[in-house]
This record gives sequence, structure tokens and C-alpha cells, in this order.
Amino acid sequence: MEKLRSGRATCLILGLILGLGTLPAGAGRASAADEIVIGEIHPITGPATFYGLPESRGIQLAADRINKAGGVTLGGKSYQIRIATEDDQASPTTGVAALRKLVSADVRFIIGPLASGVAPALKPIIERNDKLTQLIDGTIADDMTNGKNIFRNQATASGYNVAVVKLFSARKYKSVAMMTDRFHAGFMNSQKTLAADLKGLGVTTASEDFYKLGDTDFSATLTNLRGRNVDVLLIRGYPAEGALITKQARQLGFSGQVVWEMVSPPSTVLKNIPAAEMEGVFNCIPLTTEDYVKLGDEKAKALDQAYRGRFNEGPGELTALSYDAVYIFKAAFEKAGSLDNAAVNKAMAALKVADIPELVTRYTPQPDGRLFASDGQVDLRGEVSVWRGEGWEPASLKD
Amino acid sequence: MLELLPQQLANGLALGSTYALVAMGLTLIFGVLLIPNFAHGEFYMLGAFITYALVASGLNFWLAMAAAVVLVTGIGWIVDRVVFQPIGSAPGHSAAQGSGLSMMISALAGSIILQQVATIIWGTEARTIPAPMTGVIQTPYFTITALQLTVIGTLTAAWIAVWLVLHRSRLGLAIRATSQNRDAALLMGISMTQVRLATFGIGAALGAVAGALLGATFPIYPSMGVTPVLKAFVVLVIGGIGSLPGAIAGGLVLGMVEVMVAGYGASQFQDIGTFVILVAVLLIRPQGLFGRAQVER
Repeated sequence: MEKLRSGRATCLILGLILGLGTLPAGAGRASAADEIVIGEIHPITGPATFYGLPESRGIQLAADRINKAGGVTLGGKSYQIRIATEDDQASPTTGVAALRKLVSADVRFIIGPLASGVAPALKPIIERNDKLTQLIDGTIADDMTNGKNIFRNQATASGYNVAVVKLFSARKYKSVAMMTDRFHAGFMNSQKTLAADLKGLGVTTASEDFYKLGDTDFSATLTNLRGRNVDVLLIRGYPAEGALITKQARQLGFSGQVVWEMVSPPSTVLKNIPAAEMEGVFNCIPLTTEDYVKLGDEKAKALDQAYRGRFNEGPGELTALSYDAVYIFKAAFEKAGSLDNAAVNKAMAALKVADIPELVTRYTPQPDGRLFASDGQVDLRGEVSVWRGEGWEPASLKD
Repeated sequence: MLELLPQQLANGLALGSTYALVAMGLTLIFGVLLIPNFAHGEFYMLGAFITYALVASGLNFWLAMAAAVVLVTGIGWIVDRVVFQPIGSAPGHSAAQGSGLSMMISALAGSIILQQVATIIWGTEARTIPAPMTGVIQTPYFTITALQLTVIGTLTAAWIAVWLVLHRSRLGLAIRATSQNRDAALLMGISMTQVRLATFGIGAALGAVAGALLGATFPIYPSMGVTPVLKAFVVLVIGGIGSLPGAIAGGLVLGMVEVMVAGYGASQFQDIGTFVILVAVLLIRPQGLFGRAQVER
């Protein structure tokens, strides 16, 4: 009997430990009356940490600033925002587990994910759950939003392509060779349209080649480029491979213009290629946190300063988007006057860019001034940057 | 397209040399000790990261590479002692059994542990070792970088050095004897400890040399050894398991095939080419190009 009791006690303790272990950090207080929990799913560890961690930190920073300024006001009552962080390691299975963990802790508002592989895995779960509202601040894959309970304040791959088309139009390039990461859903899905848009400008697509993360030898493809004499080598993917392709192309004698289409923090770029070899390379993505700082944007400078003060390093390229996401949620809560998901979704869809003066990123308002189109997507267009010295800077296309 | 053939051949030679350099250490350990050492990719990775860390702290690249080789050799011995020897000497495991499934699982465990340790120390962000030389040699027919030439030269030097050890020293004689018949070698009084230390030491050192040199060409990150070690196993099958000339020929064949498939076919079929040639070799000459057919009794 004694053994049985002690066995039951052990089971109870184990059960408690396991039960608590499945809750996100601090989720035990999720139902506290005066706080709103926002879950965030980003790669805090794993191969995409250098994107995900600055996003997560941007969210923390925004929540702290909102809380210090009095929090979220609903019906005359103030609520503090609490962030429940989950690490998806940029892996779909880990991402789904992270979402389920947040859902089981009754977290109903989600920011993220970053990875184009994770977002499609989360989408069907979130679409079916009317107690969830998602704001994507990372992936650029097309068709990830629905305008009902899934919104996105990041650009789409098609939004990136706007800058590519602008660059080709301004510089009158006549031919292009594309090298695309074949596992990047956003780039793969938009490639056909991009090629068609370029064709409309009279640009010939000389070749379309594909690679994957971790590939190291591109010599065969790049040798063929030399034979084709193309004006532009367009690389669409991630910076480690981008740097390697750029280096190998130069070594094999490619003398045309190299154009990147990828989020590529200078610190990461410089770990993979000397600055001199990057000089003059164009990049076609929406303006990043660093770009806004370089343009002298006061809100971006304040964010940059606060970030450096707290984390002892500069913000990441996507930090401003994640920072904005918290303010977008705050505005939606206050506009809805409730934490009911249906009301928040409706308010989110109706938000105007002018309703959120704290936004760092310069979103193009919809014709009626709203932030999101009816499909839940913001209008955020790529701009052309050029590598000068040790980093990217906004490019003047009249050079 | 044929006018680009000399360049594509040079590309294939350069790529094949990288495969061969990784495969040499693997084939030595597998050929002598019958250990499918999946952790060899981590010797390669550690060679790259240690060189990177030392170069970043201001050390000359070649000195850093030498230090990395010494350190990784030591790590190789520790891996053998901790990961493989307990399995090989476990009750109920003969040498042959020990080289089977349990050895493979143990090797995978060792590989994952080393990757995780590297992740904790260096993080996951990809980086490249600053290249010790940056020149490009241009001929009328092809272009090749000085670093690629160095890899080809190092491969040749490593092969000659290992050949001299194996064929011109008593230790090499002991290693070859063990490779041919472990039980007979034991009966002849050959010290298995010495053979293991030498084999693992040379194998790990070759992995470190490959990591240091290729880390100056390719991005390095904790899981960077996974694909090269898989390709190295393909090289072993093509060249003949346990054969050093086979590792070199297999690496070069694989490099050439990949480049030709990507150059004259499509880049997305590059990996398919690897495994098509693997299946073809297994069907036509299962013992590999330089392997000897063995009769199971």
C-alpha cells in the first residue's frame, strides 16, 4: 500500500512536471486579467538564427515600450503585453509543435513565422481555428494570408520582384541568367511571373538554374554563363550561397552585373565574401531597418538606438517588421475594443496605415488608406540597394 | 558548348579533388578498422572551424591549419576511444559484428554530438575562412584558382605521404596486415592499439586538412560535414572500399560526372548524377573500380 501511494505520488509529480513542461515560458499566467499574451514563433536557434533572433528581440522591445507607455487600453482598462516566445528552428515540424504549444496555453495572437517552409505548415491549422489571429512578419512565400485571421506585414516575393523589374528597366539590361534556391517557396513560385515581367521589358532570360542550401559548387553552371555573355546574373536565395556564387562567378570570368534578391545582413555577407568582391552588387528587397537608419528616419534611428542599448549589437534586417507587428496588434486590439479574435480580425482588416504612427516600415497604403489588402497582405515593395564599402545602401538608379 | 569543355573538365578536376580529399581519410579508417565513420564529416568540420578560429585570432593560415590538424588528430583518438572501441570490445561483438549496425549507430551518435558541440561554440551562421591565396590562373583553355590548384596539390601530396607510411614503414606494414586479416595480424603480435591510433590519427588528420582548405573556399557551419561524408561514401563505393587510389579515382570520377551533368544537362540533376553512377557501379562492378572481389565462405 505504501508502495502504491508512493507510486501514485511519483506519477502525480511526473504528470505535473510534464504538464508544466509543455507550457511556454510564463504561460501559467496567460489568463491573468490584466495582460494580453502574444505568441511569437521564430527560429531562435538553428540555421536561420541570424534572421530569427533579431526579429524576436524586436518584438520584445516593442512590447516593453508599449507596456512602459501604459500598455493596451481596452474599455478604459490598461493591459500589459506579454510575449510567449517559441523557437521553430526554421523547421516545419518544430514550428507546428510550437504553435500547438501556444494554442494549448490559450495564446490566441501569433506573430511569425520567418521561414518559408514553416508558414505553409502552420497555415491550415490557423485557418481552421477561429480562436487564432496570425500576423506573419517573415516569410515572403505567396498565398500565405487569407485576410480573415491570417495577415502579413512582410512583402511577398512578388513585392521583391518589383525592385528587380525597376532595376532592369532603369539600367536597360538585355539579358539575365537566374539562379534560384529551389527550396525557397516564395522565389520558386514567383519566378515564372518575374521572367514574364522581364520579357515585357525586352529582357531575354538566357538560363534558369536551381540550387539548394548547402550547395558548394556552381562552376558548371557559371561556366555556361560565360559562354552566354549575359548582362546580369540574378541570384535568388540566401546570403551564404549568394556570396559563394558571386565569388565563383567572378573567378570564372563573369564580368556582368551581379544582382541579389535576398535578405542579407552585411555581417553575414562579410563572413562569406570579402567586401571588395561585393562592391557594386545590387540587392532587390524592401528597405531594411538599416536602410531606414541610413535614410535618417527618426523612428528607425530610435529603434536602432534602443536595440543597441539593450542587446549590445545592431538590429537585424527584419527587426523593424517584427517591431511593427506588435504595434499593429496593439492598434487592432484598441480598435476592436475587445480581445475576441473575430473582433480583432475585423479591426485588423480595417486598420489604416495612419492609425499606427509608430510603424517604422513605410508600407504603401491601399487606395482607401488601409494597411492590409482584402487578402490580408500589406503593400511593401522592393527597393534597389547597392553594396558600397562594408554594407548596403539605397541605390540611385540614375548612376 | 564544346568550346567550354576544357573549363568544365578543370571544374570537374577541382571538384573531384575536394571529394577525394575528404574520402581518403574515410576509406583508410573503413578499410583497416571496418568502421563506417560518419563522424569523419565532423573531423572535416572541426578542421575548418579550428582553422577559422585561429585565423580570426590572427594566426597565419598555414600555421592555423597545422594546429587544426594536430587538434583534430587528438579529437579523432578520443572519438575512437569513446565512441567505437567500447562497441568493438563489447561482449557478443566480434570485430565483424562490431563494424555493423551498432558501429554505424555509434558513429552517427558521435557525429551528432560533435555537431552540437560546434553549434554551441560557433553558432549556426555560415562563414568562410579568409583565403590564404586569391589568385586566378588563366590559360587559353580554362581558368582555375590558386586555391583549387592547392587542393589538387595537397591531394597528391597527401596520397604520396600516406602511401609512403603504408608501404615504407613497419607501422604501415602492420596497418596493411590488419586491413587484410585482423586475426592473423593479432597472432603475428601486431599491436592493435598502435594500428588504431595510427589509422584514426591519419584519417582524422586528412579530414582536418580537407576542412581547413575547403573552408577557405566553401561556407563553414556545424552541419557542413554531412553532405561531403555522404558523397565520400559514394566515392568509396565507386573507387573500391579501402583503396586509396580508389578514393582518388572515385572522387575524380564523381566530380567529373557532377560537373558534366550540371554543365551539359541541368543543374538540378547534379545530385541525381551522383546516385545514378553509384547504382551503375554497384550493378556493373560491385567491388568498385579498384576494389577486389571477395568470396564469402
